[in-house]
Order: sequence, then C-alpha cells, then structure tokens
Amino acid sequence: MLHEWRSLLADRTLWFITPLFALLIGYGVYNGMSWVRFQQTTLATVRAEEQSRLAKANATLRALEQPGAVGRAESAFTNPRLASVAGSRSGTRYAILPPAPLASLSIGQSDLYPYYFRVSTQSRQTFLTNDEIENPTNLLAGRFDLAFVIIYLYPLLILALSYNILSAEREQGTLQMIMAQPVSLRHFVTGKIALRALVILSLAVIFSLAGFLLGGVGDGSGLASGAVWVRLLLWIGVVAGYGAFWFTLAMAINAFGKSSATNALALAGIWLIVVLLIPSLLSVVATSLYPVPSRVEMVQATRRASAEATARGSQLLSKYLEDHPELTAGGQADPNDFALRTLAIQSETERLVEPVVAHFDQQTLGQQALVDRFRFLSPAIVTQAALNDLAGTGIARYRHFLGLVDEYHRTWRNHFTPLIVQRAQLRAGDYDHFPTFLFREESLGSIGRRVLTSLPGLLLPALLIGWFGLRSLRRYSLAG
Amino acid sequence: MIRLIAQKEMTEMLRDGRFRWAAAIVLLLLLAALLMGGQHYRDIKRQHDLAQAETREQWLKQPAKNPHSAAHYGIYAFKPKMLAAMLDRGVDPYVGQSVWLEAHKQNDFKYRPAQDSTAVQRFGELTAATVLQLLIPLLIILLSFAAFVGEREQGTLRQLLSMGIRQSDLVWGKALGITGALGLLLIPATVIGVIALILTSENGLPAATLSRMAWMTLGYLLYFGIFIGLTLAVSATARSSQTALVILLGFWIVNGLIAPRAIADIARRVHATPSAFSFQQTIDREMQSGPDGHDSADKRNSALRERVLKQYGVDRIESLPVNFAGLSLQESEEHGNTVYDRHYGALWERFEQQNRLKQLSGIIAPMLAIQSLSMGLAGTDFFHHRDFANAAENYRRLLIRKMNDDLTYQAVNRDFSYQAPPSLWQTVEEFRYDAPTTRTALAQQRLSLGLLSLWCLASLTTAIVLAHRLKID
Repeated sequence: MLHEWRSLLADRTLWFITPLFALLIGYGVYNGMSWVRFQQTTLATVRAEEQSRLAKANATLRALEQPGAVGRAESAFTNPRLASVAGSRSGTRYAILPPAPLASLSIGQSDLYPYYFRVSTQSRQTFLTNDEIENPTNLLAGRFDLAFVIIYLYPLLILALSYNILSAEREQGTLQMIMAQPVSLRHFVTGKIALRALVILSLAVIFSLAGFLLGGVGDGSGLASGAVWVRLLLWIGVVAGYGAFWFTLAMAINAFGKSSATNALALAGIWLIVVLLIPSLLSVVATSLYPVPSRVEMVQATRRASAEATARGSQLLSKYLEDHPELTAGGQADPNDFALRTLAIQSETERLVEPVVAHFDQQTLGQQALVDRFRFLSPAIVTQAALNDLAGTGIARYRHFLGLVDEYHRTWRNHFTPLIVQRAQLRAGDYDHFPTFLFREESLGSIGRRVLTSLPGLLLPALLIGWFGLRSLRRYSLAG
Repeated sequence: MIRLIAQKEMTEMLRDGRFRWAAAIVLLLLLAALLMGGQHYRDIKRQHDLAQAETREQWLKQPAKNPHSAAHYGIYAFKPKMLAAMLDRGVDPYVGQSVWLEAHKQNDFKYRPAQDSTAVQRFGELTAATVLQLLIPLLIILLSFAAFVGEREQGTLRQLLSMGIRQSDLVWGKALGITGALGLLLIPATVIGVIALILTSENGLPAATLSRMAWMTLGYLLYFGIFIGLTLAVSATARSSQTALVILLGFWIVNGLIAPRAIADIARRVHATPSAFSFQQTIDREMQSGPDGHDSADKRNSALRERVLKQYGVDRIESLPVNFAGLSLQESEEHGNTVYDRHYGALWERFEQQNRLKQLSGIIAPMLAIQSLSMGLAGTDFFHHRDFANAAENYRRLLIRKMNDDLTYQAVNRDFSYQAPPSLWQTVEEFRYDAPTTRTALAQQRLSLGLLSLWCLASLTTAIVLAHRLKID
C-alpha cells in the first residue's frame, strides 16, 4: 500500500489532474455563486419596490384622511382606497422563492423557473409567467456549475486515473513482479482503486467545501442550522456514490485483461452512453409518451373562456352574487360595478380553463414520474436529480413553491373579495395588514427521502460491477 | 497509389467489428432523431397554424366596440417553424412560443417549452444536429486514431515506407479511406434526411430549405474535415496509440462539452444583461415620463394639446375636427415605441454580442462555430427569433395605429362610448411573416463559416506536414 502511494505520487497524471480538478471545481462553485448573488440582488430590488409602493399608498391614504383634504380625483383604476385597486395593483405583495442554502452548488433548473411572483386578485396566469431575462443561446449551452463538473467531468478524471490500472502494469511487465510478492491480485487491485478513490473524493469534497465556505452560504444564516450540514453530508454521499460507480467500472473493464487503448475506448464509450445517450433518449421517450399539450392551445383556451365569460358578464355577476350570499353580508351589491364584474368574469374564466390546466399538469407530472422511475437507467441522471434536490434547484422545490403560491393566492383573494363586493373604503394602516407570503422551506425529511432512494441507484450498480470485476480477476492472465 | 491506400483503409474499417457497431448505432440514433424531429415539427406546425387562424377569427368576430377596447383585446402571434428546424431545434425550447400583441405594451414571448420539460432535457436533446456535432467526430476519432501510430506499433509502417510510398500519398490515402468509410454512413443518412424532410413538408422541398440544407451540409463537411485532419496529425506524432487516443478524446471533450458552457459563462460576464425586474422598472419609469394616453386631461399631454390646437387653428379641444383622445393615445403609443425600441434594442444587441463572442470562440473550439452555423441555417437561432419578434411588434404597431386613427377621425366630439363597426376589424390585414432568406441567415454566419474553413485547412495541412516528418520507430 505504501509502495502504491509512492508510485501514485510519482504518477504524472495525478499531478496534472489535481490542479485541473481544483480549477474546474473552483470555477463551477464561483459560477454558481454569482448566479445566487444575482438572484439575491434582484430579490432585494423586488422587496424594495414593494416597500416603497406600500409606503406611498399609506401616505396617500393618510393625506386623504386629513380633515378638509382635497384629494386629486382618482380614477377607479388608481384610487388606493378601493379594495379592487389595492388587491390588484397598489397593495400587492411578492411571493418570493429565496435560493436554498446549497443553491450555489447546482444551478439546475433555477435558470428556467421564475423565483418571485407578484400575486394579485387577478388570475394566476397573469402573474405566473415571470421569466428572468437570459440569452436563450446561453440557456441551451447550460451552466458551468459544480453539478456539471461532478456529472460530466469528475467521471472522466476518475477514468483518466484508472483506465489502465492493471493493463499498464502488465504492458510494462511490472505486474508479474508484483505478483511474485505475497499479495493477491484482488488485494492489489482493490488497494489501487481505494487509494485513487480516496484521493479523488477528498479532492472533490475539500475543494467544493472550500469554495462553498469562502463564498458564503445562501443568505448567510444557513451555516448555523444543522439542516445545511445534513444536506452537505448527503451531497458528499451522492458524489461518493457516483464516484464509486465509475471506479468499480474502471476496475471491471481492467479485469477483462485487454490492452490499455481498448480499455480507454470501452470506458469512453460507456461514459458516452451513461452521460449523454441514455439521458437524451429518456427525454425523448418521456416527451413522446406524455406529450405536454402545447402552451399554444392553453393560451387559446384561456382566450376563448375569457371571451365567453365577458360576453355573459352581467348575467354571471348576478349568479356569482347568488352563489356567494356571504360576500354581500346582507347589503346590496351594485350590478354595474366594474370591479365586481371583473371578479365574476375572472372566476368564471378560471372555471372554464380548469380542465385544460388540469390536463396540462397531469401530463407534466406523468413525464416527471416516468423520468423519476427510469432515472436508475443512468447513474448520471440519478446524480443530477439528487444534486438538484439537495441544492433546491430542481422541480420538487419549485412545485412546493407553486403550491404555497396557490395557497397564498387563495388567501389573498379571500381577503379582498368581500371588501370589493362591499365596496369598502380602505384606511391608512390597512395596507400593513394584508396577508403576507411566507416561504416555508421544503422539509428536510422529504428531500432526504428522495435522495436516500437515489443512493442505492448509485451504490447498487457500483457493488454489482465491483463484485463482477473481482470475480473476473480470478481468470486474469498476467502475461497478457 | 492514393487510391490503393484508401481502398485498403476502407476495407479494413468495414471489416472492423467496432466500426460496424459504432456506425450502426450512430445511424440508428440519426434515424430516430430525424423521426422525432419530423414528428415534432408537424405537431408544432399544426398547432401554430390552427392557433394563428383562430386568433385571427377571434379578432374579426369582435362585436361593435370602441377601437381602443379592440386594441386592448389585441391578437396573438405564434412563432412559425421552418422545415429545416427539424434537423436542429436550436434555441427553440428556450424561447417563448407566442406573444400577445396589445395596446401600450410590447410584451415578452411567453412559455418557454423547456420550462415544461424535465431536467433530463438539460443533458442535451437528441436531434440530428447533436448526432452530427458530437457523435460523428467521436466516430472519426475511433476510426483513425491508430492510422499512423498503429502501423508503427505493428511495424508495418517501416515496410510501407521502405516500399517508397510518398508520405503525402499516405496521408491522402488515409484521409480518403476514412472519408470513404464515413461516406458509407453519411450518404445514406443524408438521403434519409432529405426523404424525411420531403415527407414532413406538405409541399415538397422549398428552394429556401434546399439552399439552407446545402450550406449546412458544407458546414458539417468542413467540421468533419477538421476532425479527420486533427486525428491524422495526432496519430502521426503520438508516441503510442494509447496516447493518441487520450489526446483526441481530450480534445473532443473540451470542444464538445467544456467550451460551449465555459464560453457561455464568459460571454454572460463580458456582456452582462439586466434582471427582468430592473429592465421592466426602467421601462415603466420612462413610460411615466411620456404622455398618458388614457387620461387626456393629464398635464403631460399639454404639449400635444397646444400643438394640435395650433395646427387646427382652434382654441378649445371641443372645437377640434378630430377626437383628441385618439391623438393622445397615439402620441403615448409613439412615445412607448421609442422606449421599447431603445430598451429591447439594447437588450437584444447584448444577446447578439454574446452570440458573436461565441462565434468568435470557434477559433478555440470548432463546435461553437458549427453550432452557430447549424442553428442559423435551421432558422432556430436567436437571430431568427429576433426577426420574428420584430415582425410581430411591427404588426402590433400597425394594428394599434389603425385603431387609434379610427378613434381620432371617426369619433369626433364623442367620448369613449363611441363604438366602431365590426367592418373596422377587417381593415387590419392578417399577420404574415416571411422568414429571413438564406442569404440573410448566411450573412450572420460568415465568421462561423470562415473559422470552420480555417480550422479544416489548418488541420489537414498539419496532418500532411507532420506525416512528412513521420518517424518510423
């Protein structure tokens, strides 16, 4: 073992790979961090806008309430005293999805998903399409983040270190000499692999941790909580599991006793299949089995529904008021009230579009379920899903956020609907008491469960291949 | 002599099981990609055609209403696909597919298809372009990394050269051999591709598609040429076939995987773009400073009022022979147009700068050049998206102007209760979009094409030069 350590140290490949690996990881973490910082700066501007808007509305109201104040005649679209204006414009709050503590380690899908919504009494379609500006060519290329380094490049470094672990010794004729010593071939190989795994894995962990700590964590409060450390631990577990898969694979290929060049070819081919071909094929299968009805159709369905609802406006309104007697609270509502009419039309439009949206959700969920089930076909997909989960940049946390937003949207509407129906006049200070959105982090349990089901997807193939490799070593011919 | 060597190389490759397997897999993937691409193209085309017809009908079927409410109702524009898009989906999954054209606002394109896909899509999509850009180069490397170094290792190189074969003949022979073997794969693939295009299209192969495909083919041939030259060059100098393979695989990885992402990140840093929020805030601020179309009594409209009163030589709005509300709406629209032109113009120019930097980086990695060229010719790059966005925006401006003009000249001395007859909707022409010509698309790709030619020339020359200095052992 000591000898092997010395010879590994003498290996030029290692001295070439270590700084390269450090560089790649450093650059990846740095990129992830600048994206998180960008999001945080944007969110700060978003919060500032909300603050100043609410303060302005409060000030206007206070001025109007001064005895003898002559306010400027405000239209029904801008008067901050009207609940309809407050609920759809002047008083709205943002629902914000803050970057998770490990967000800088994997950008994942977070460059595609909106991370703040301005929730209002209007339908959810009006605020849900809140995309961040990005050159589509960059989105296509993808980001150079730590997850990219881990998924694509880390296996290559592992393979570069170990594709000729036995074949080189044999080609140089040193293998026979070593086998003359009192050490079994199995021990020799496992030792070699274990040593390399130790080196690469500690490099991966140390470099990512260093970059992560140097750059600061999420919003700064993260490090203190134990949850972050659990996530980090799971992160390391996934990276180790993925590494184990590639190391055992290299060993098994070596055990076939072919030449170094053949080994390199075979390993490169497997890498290509695992990292590029299976994912793109799976993506194709998922989209053809569960074709998402195009958004184009959804746009049109919404327009049809809204036209239909608008045409029946006043009729809808009286029905709406009949259906919700609690809203008028005994008083009479004005059937010509524009705000009220809008409310009724919106609620009808949403009812009409409901089946289209439901079908849409069902198909996307179907795709996701299919991908989740078949991710075990490729350790690369397993790793990608797990890393995104841990970084909070995958579909799960986003869906969790959307759920909270829906809940908040309902609360918001329930707060404003009676006020609009009763044509309540808001007073200064009311703006401070509107419902606010509070993001509750996904429970660690649900993340942990998803990641822990993924880990066997990495370790099982690794163990299987390892066992198979060790078995074939028995028939290994030293002379070649 | 060259022919003899080429023949020998080709026969050897065709007998090689590895080549057969690899070629079969690549061909199969290419076929699947074409099939999927065609299916996808047909789906999208059908949906967009239907939707476009429906949105037009909705526009026409509006009842009598105030032209400004019609302007607010607006119309949707759906991005059409070019036939060649089935070969390379380019940025299409990452840009919105439709835009709402309404009064006062230049809207963004909404609904990026990638948002509705799973994260596996980010591994890359299986399109003909992916196969051609990533897999065929790999196949070339596998075929020929041992071309010289293998002969040397087996000792056949000494024999060959002792027979008095010129080294340049050897290089050309080898290159031709590889090309021949590849041709056996690529010619059927191209034929299948053309057939797939014809089957997908409803009206045969339009000339525009044909010329785009021809240039695309040229681009890819240059790209393959680069890899053939490079592989032979490395094979001529490497100490062992193993070293040659490792070097070539390394290049393949840097070229195909690392460079596109790394350069995208660098481009993003060099030409930074604003956040959507601050972008919108700036626009809103500038819109505020302009005239308010909805409130003609607003003091920001006083300049317009003065001007119009003077023009018509009257002293009261009420005595104007036109409707002032219509004029002020159009005035605010014009102001908005300059604001949008400035900001969207600047933003999109940023994107173009980033993309140009990527094209230029083709000098480091030919992948970036071929990607740009391929998307550009398939009509799925940002340039084409921008072109469509501009066309839709121009249509929006035309439509809104028609509505405002009607209000100005038909609703004299009337307020917003004025209702235009449904015949007004007919006067707005249907939205038609002509995609950029091949020449325009190609003009964007001059740099890519130049860099590809340069790379190809350089790598083949290097191969010849190095083969001349071939060491026998």
